Amino acid sequence: MSKANKKKRTKIRIDYSICGEKGKIDPRNCGLCMKACDPAVFIMHETLGTEKKQKDMYDPQDWRITPIWGSLCSRCYKCVEVCPENAITITW
Amino acid sequence: MCQWCMSHGAGKKWYMNAKNYSDELAEESNMKDYLTEQWMNFEQVYIRKIMGFSSKDLGYKLKMPVIGKILRWRAENMIHSQKKRRNPVRADGHFGQVIPLEDAQIIMSELAAEPIICNYCMCRWMQRKKKEAVCINFGVLSEVLEKLPRFIPKDRVVRIDRETAVEKLEEFNKKGYISSVWFQPIPYINAVCSCESPECGAFTLRNNFDINVMYKAEYIIQLDQDKCQGCKSCVAMCQLSAIRFIPSMDRVIIDYNKCFGCGVCRHACKHDALKLIPREDYPGFDGTY
Repeated sequence: MSKANKKKRTKIRIDYSICGEKGKIDPRNCGLCMKACDPAVFIMHETLGTEKKQKDMYDPQDWRITPIWGSLCSRCYKCVEVCPENAITITW
Repeated sequence: MCQWCMSHGAGKKWYMNAKNYSDELAEESNMKDYLTEQWMNFEQVYIRKIMGFSSKDLGYKLKMPVIGKILRWRAENMIHSQKKRRNPVRADGHFGQVIPLEDAQIIMSELAAEPIICNYCMCRWMQRKKKEAVCINFGVLSEVLEKLPRFIPKDRVVRIDRETAVEKLEEFNKKGYISSVWFQPIPYINAVCSCESPECGAFTLRNNFDINVMYKAEYIIQLDQDKCQGCKSCVAMCQLSAIRFIPSMDRVIIDYNKCFGCGVCRHACKHDALKLIPREDYPGFDGTY
């Protein structure tokens, strides 16, 4: 790839104080960004370290979304537009 | 035929060897505890750190000099691990291969161990928050999954018989979903998935980062150019954009590098122009799994 075409690294951030295990939105009820994203950049997962905190290992309750495949992001901003609490920011 | 058929196929394809499905094999290596541990935490597999690196922004990490190469080597080793002491919270020894509908139906009707269940797909759940009951699991894994409420449909019958499984596979295949069979972990086989791209984690890793979590099928598609009428219906069916329409020729062309040999496009063709041939009969792509 030539230098002129080199894309800068896309940084997608989700504010976990709004969306996540402690925020007011549970990603399992919303998940709009995951549905809006064409290349499926986001994944939803139980937070790490839940093993110790949670009693019910079979049905964990702490979930958050991580933008995992950042390099596939096309910067279309659909996730930013669709988020009801504006928890997502994209920079590069 | 690659090394996995050599070492686990007993002279056939690896997924056609009945030994790999047996309960004895599962008992021998205590699969039940292993799989329970694995499936309780499976969504965390990408964010867990391996050698100090998680899969987050993997595309950028793999491009780093030196570190990228080490990461790729480490990931491939993990996925193809055959060690005795494997870590259940990672995807150790867990990879799959695309299979055409015919092979998937043979697995379901003859080889798969009871009980057979049809549960929600994990990839669609974690990447799209979509609960779709398209995964067919069998053997020890069925008993494990039945304890996990997020994978089992509440209002549906979960355990299915062999005939239903065969019918379901045909239904999914005609919808456009790609059948795939999975080692979990090597050499135990306990799942036939119906995948779509890009929701499927394995297709994402293979197509974007060239990590061999998903192998191409033992077959490849062949187009009869005289029979193709250029109706384009197969183009819409292909999950992996391996078929495209060329207006000047008034027919479709196939990108063999992208074709996984799943044979899903055959369901769309009304003119009998597409058929699967064994990969080794196609000289340019023999051995390119």
